[in-house]
Amino acid sequence: MFAKYAYRRISLLCFMLFTLTVFTFSLNYLFPGELITNFSGEVNSSYAQTQALVEKYRIEDNIIVQYGAFMARMFEGDWGLSLSSGQPVLGHVKLLFPATLELCLYALTVAVIIGVPSGVIASAYHKKWPDKIINSLSLMGFSIPVFWLALLLIMVFCLGLGLFPMSGRIGLLYEIQPVTHFILIDIYLEGFPYGGASFWDAIHHLALPTTVLAMYPTTVLIRFTRDSMLDVLDQNYIKTARAKGLNRSQLILHHALRNALLPVIKQIGLQFSTLITLAMITEVIFSWPGLGRWLIESIYQRDYPAIQGGLLAVSFFVIIANMMSDLVHSLLDPIARNQAHGKI
Amino acid sequence: MAKFSLFTEESNRSPLFRLWRKFRSNHVALVGLWLFLALTVLALTAPLIAPYGVNQQHADALLLPPSWHDDGDVRFILGTDDLGRDILSRLMNGATYTFGLSIIAALVTTALGVVLGTLAGASRGLKSSLLNHLLDITLAIPSLLLAIIIIAILGPGLMNTVWAIIFALLPQYIHSIRNLVVAELGKDYIIAFKLDGANRWRLLVRGILPNIYEHIVVIFTMALSTAILDIAALGFLKLGAQPPSTEWGAILQENLSLIYLAPWTVGLPGVLLFIAVLSTNLVGDGLREALKNRKAD
Repeated sequence: MFAKYAYRRISLLCFMLFTLTVFTFSLNYLFPGELITNFSGEVNSSYAQTQALVEKYRIEDNIIVQYGAFMARMFEGDWGLSLSSGQPVLGHVKLLFPATLELCLYALTVAVIIGVPSGVIASAYHKKWPDKIINSLSLMGFSIPVFWLALLLIMVFCLGLGLFPMSGRIGLLYEIQPVTHFILIDIYLEGFPYGGASFWDAIHHLALPTTVLAMYPTTVLIRFTRDSMLDVLDQNYIKTARAKGLNRSQLILHHALRNALLPVIKQIGLQFSTLITLAMITEVIFSWPGLGRWLIESIYQRDYPAIQGGLLAVSFFVIIANMMSDLVHSLLDPIARNQAHGKI
Repeated sequence: MAKFSLFTEESNRSPLFRLWRKFRSNHVALVGLWLFLALTVLALTAPLIAPYGVNQQHADALLLPPSWHDDGDVRFILGTDDLGRDILSRLMNGATYTFGLSIIAALVTTALGVVLGTLAGASRGLKSSLLNHLLDITLAIPSLLLAIIIIAILGPGLMNTVWAIIFALLPQYIHSIRNLVVAELGKDYIIAFKLDGANRWRLLVRGILPNIYEHIVVIFTMALSTAILDIAALGFLKLGAQPPSTEWGAILQENLSLIYLAPWTVGLPGVLLFIAVLSTNLVGDGLREALKNRKAD
């Protein structure tokens, strides 16, 4: 049963990856500008160079051969050059993506740590004051535009109180050798240089962007956990357990929570797409040196190879993340395997 | 488990009326509905009722704070910006762009989503799979990135943003509608209707759609709140509405350099955005709650 389910998931995954690469490939034709420039990122090349590029990118062959050549280059790691910097796109992506990923992972961790317990509390005290407070707070957090929240926090905590720095990942005083490009891990690997002050500084820089980015997923998780818990608490086996004389904490911790958290696991994986959208805005405001800010700057400079590379990297990551959470969910929940995804 | 009440009261009201009665008893949702209606009226009539023109400059009144401030002027209730333009008039006109265009985007998405979703739900096999997963790839591309790509192809501008948002919202919509249709198709009354000899068109129009349109309204409010946030975010990133326009995100971006000098020029557009999204979410939540409760009684 599970094998069949996994087969369906993987064929859907292949289909999605195929559409994604076809879409990326066709962008070369859709973007304004020269086809060769969009493919390679080479500007002002001489006649001989252009001929070499035409040969390499198989421009004169039919579209399927072109797509094949495109895929071969993608696998080789030749993603073209960025029009604005002249450096390989893949190098930029490798350098910048960890920064975005780091921010997103911390925000998601905060969201899970705060969101899930709050949702459980809200459902345990359904229609009483803790539920009402958590519910209205989460509705407000759900509705607040992320860039406005970021500006408000900057106004209060940076300009007003001066508690946190406004931009960047770490103070200019500290020099950290980039190994994994995850700033906290790099500091740990170096053995907390500058007497731990660098670690503290990095945490300070992380505080505001993480808070801003965590706001939306936290509220989504609160609402989702609460709804899921209320559904489970309404079921007959819970009533039976209550009739047997279990108290509320036993009821929730031993009987309701396990079943209620299953859909939540799936929901966590689905957050990545939204999270990266929000991270792009957050990075622009806090000058966080990540992929999102780079992509937004690429569009200002009409840097088409960069946009393609970013699209491919980000979407690939989101697809893989969704699939991982789906597989974990179906491993834990046997019922989900029967309603196989994609089966109609 | 069947819930029975001891004191049964015969209720022959129409489902819509019962829905309204449930909705009305939720006061917060009702406030949300009034705010929503007020914003809709504002979006329609803003140029007529705004006190000043959008780009009318008052050289004698630059950067005035709101009128309740000591330095404020009662002529400009919410103050003026660095070019001496009345903020109240600009914000009122902004409702047309941010709120009005979001409603249009959500309506177009609804029309397309309902058509494609019912087709996907009513057909079987490969055709259904294709329709259902046709746009799935846009689920994996973050909506802002999709908007950036569409803008890279078409060039920046408000209408291009609207297209980008429609594309980003559509796949979720198709999935939700399809699930509703499939759930409805399995019910007994549809089978009875089929045995009565209803053809597929009649089945859809008379059987299924009247039973799911309330749920479609709930999905519509969710799409609307996302659309408002996205239009404003793109305006803020200088990719959507361009600066002289009065779109709220664009106003915020234009006044960003004044954040020290005149915080109200940054704060007020955000407050309006917040109210717009909050009222939409309140209506959506209230409606969903009312639908759930109506089923219970």
